[in-house]
Amino acid sequence: MATYFLRRLLLLIPTFFGATILVFIILQLAPGGPLEQTIRQIQMGGMSQGESGGGGGGDMTSGGGAGLPAEAMEELKRFYGFDKPIIQRYLIWLGVWPREHDTRNLEFGPGDTEVEKNMGRGQWVTVKQTADGYVMYNEDGSINSDWLIRPLDPGEDGIERALVYKTKLSGILTGDLGTSYTYMQPVLDVMKPRFKVSIFFGISGFLISYIVCIPLGIAKALRHGSPFDLFSSVIVFIAYSIPGWAFGAVLLILLGGGSFWDVFPLGGFRSENWEYLSLWGRIIDQLYHAVLPMIAWTIGSFATLTVLMKNSIIENMSQDYMRTAFSKGLTEKRVIWIHALRNSVIPIASYIGNVIGVLLAGSYLIELVFNIDGFGKLGYQAVLDRDYPIVMGFLVIAVLLRLVGNILSDIALATVDPRIRFK
Amino acid sequence: MENTPTVDQAAAAQEQISLSVLKKRWLKFKSIKRGYYAFIILITAYIISFFLPLLINNRALVVKYEGEIWFPVFQGYIAGSTFGEDVPGEANYRELKVKFKSEKGNWVIMPPYPYGPYEDVTTAGNKMYEEPGRGHWFGTDNTGRDVFSRLLYGFNISLSFAILFTIASYLIGVSIGAMMGYFGGKFDLITQRFIEIWATLPFLFVMIIISSIVRPNFFLLIVILTLFGWIGMTYYMRAEFYREKTKDYVAAAISMGQTHKKIIFKHILPNSLVPIITYFPFAVIGGIGSLVGLDFLGFGLPPPTPSWGQMVSVGLQNMVKWWMVLAPLGALFTTLLLIVFIGEAIREAFDPRVYSRLR
Repeated sequence: MATYFLRRLLLLIPTFFGATILVFIILQLAPGGPLEQTIRQIQMGGMSQGESGGGGGGDMTSGGGAGLPAEAMEELKRFYGFDKPIIQRYLIWLGVWPREHDTRNLEFGPGDTEVEKNMGRGQWVTVKQTADGYVMYNEDGSINSDWLIRPLDPGEDGIERALVYKTKLSGILTGDLGTSYTYMQPVLDVMKPRFKVSIFFGISGFLISYIVCIPLGIAKALRHGSPFDLFSSVIVFIAYSIPGWAFGAVLLILLGGGSFWDVFPLGGFRSENWEYLSLWGRIIDQLYHAVLPMIAWTIGSFATLTVLMKNSIIENMSQDYMRTAFSKGLTEKRVIWIHALRNSVIPIASYIGNVIGVLLAGSYLIELVFNIDGFGKLGYQAVLDRDYPIVMGFLVIAVLLRLVGNILSDIALATVDPRIRFK
Repeated sequence: MENTPTVDQAAAAQEQISLSVLKKRWLKFKSIKRGYYAFIILITAYIISFFLPLLINNRALVVKYEGEIWFPVFQGYIAGSTFGEDVPGEANYRELKVKFKSEKGNWVIMPPYPYGPYEDVTTAGNKMYEEPGRGHWFGTDNTGRDVFSRLLYGFNISLSFAILFTIASYLIGVSIGAMMGYFGGKFDLITQRFIEIWATLPFLFVMIIISSIVRPNFFLLIVILTLFGWIGMTYYMRAEFYREKTKDYVAAAISMGQTHKKIIFKHILPNSLVPIITYFPFAVIGGIGSLVGLDFLGFGLPPPTPSWGQMVSVGLQNMVKWWMVLAPLGALFTTLLLIVFIGEAIREAFDPRVYSRLR
């Protein structure tokens, strides 16, 4: 068993690298990236202030950034990491290649070989240019080796420039997902509150669908062919054919108070005054906001789970061991609830892992419809904003969740069915 | 002699036996009324939807003006001045019809529902956010376009899209899955890893990235969706081919020196059709769902293509204008429900168990 899970974990490694490299390359090569967007913003700003330098909306696809000083371009490129080859960028993102931080620019005057620089906190250093590179001296004349220095491309004005920086290994493998471009915060900090929202819906949706579907599936199986079965089948069919977000939109129109009934709020996760509500008020408010999205969330798995449960029971009912159980005089109750059910929840157990995947994948349409600031919506918005650190972080978490889901499925399967041996 | 069957009966029995498997399944499918009627309704609606320009259009079918006969539906753009109408640009046939009522010899035959999917407020007489009523059955949208008309044109586009998408992804998925199962070994292993990576990519996510780079049209969108849609089929085909490969008829074909290609497509594939056929309707449902979702996000078909997702997305910005959301979603639900009925019936016909199942 342990070897099995170990192998599963090891198999994830090539998948993880393959997927992240693929998305990384797509993102980095896609035109209209963060660099170009920033340049466009700067130019638009420049034009609206009537300053010179606006390129007049020239095409940005060439990556030109006409009108921006070369220095500023360099600076921007460095900020977004585009000054390095793509492989190196990926390694930096992984955290196996040193990431430059605390960068400062140096400018050597014409003919000068040394320059003084304030490194902050009143610390002044002198950088001297020697034959084999740069040396940094502290004020007392000792050599300062905290900082690294590398030359930059000289600008058009012929002034020599250099970059002072520190390095550290900081990337996904060290638990650093980077800093979001749009929020200017560490990616994890941006994700945390939203992740809470998605987990709330994910877990309660999961519980609700299992609480509803298993009894419903059993009831349908026991009354197979009855009016109750046929009627609920129609509902299951409808639920199966409707995408959750679309059903959510219908509910919103009907019950959101637009033109029909004003029963539920129009969207959002909580009321704006949530902070000031009493505990009871908070619970009510939370539930009140959650009803419609929750229905949209669960409707997808509702149909699949119910039918899975029903078929599973019916299949087991026709097995020989059931006849044996009946013929040795057990009550119908005991036969069904003890003998049939245990075997019938096996396929349901293997479905548990799917739920975790659905938690991320299918949810952002629902979050958009109900205007809930969840995890999916964050990822969607990040793609629109070209906030690459968030996009990559989203991918990593999605891959990890898929793994957790699969393993969870296997564990659930092994718990429910002791005959199963993973090899 | 009384007990021996008549010649006729014998022939009928013979016929019963010699019915092909597919024919038997078709008969079984026909006997499942819900699915069969859904099939008839959907196919009829789909065929009719190709003739929509004759039924639902702002261009007249026939115009007789000053002794000359015009067919605007087929001829396309005709300036209003041609018919002595004082409008800029194209003729407004609805107004023309009213006008010609009082003129002798001139007449206009309009389609039964005289509003097109593209004409907006720039056409005289159209208003934004008109409520459903006698003129516009399902009202008009934020630019004054007729919702009912866009809805029906959207039906054709959605279904065509989903069917083409399914066929395209089946072509790739079946071929690759078949090869994986048939050749096995290293090829299978490497392809499996590749598929694993490919399947890990959040599909809609990458889709959004791609569509934000290039503005997709109908066929490009099919190509992009197919890039992700082919994976599902490979699992089934791989399993089917692994099983079939070991059977005697394949060994016989190999010993006769048949090529791999022939064995895969001529010998094994016809024996592995069940998953292909039974999953087809559900793949179409997936295709429609993806298209509507993408259109809803604004990464689907370019405007002003009539698409349900785009209609819903505009509608949700105006919660009071309920018809803009409920109409396209009603159409979506009806279509998907019909396909689910069909798919369920097909599955029952091909996989005759006593109970119903999804997936």
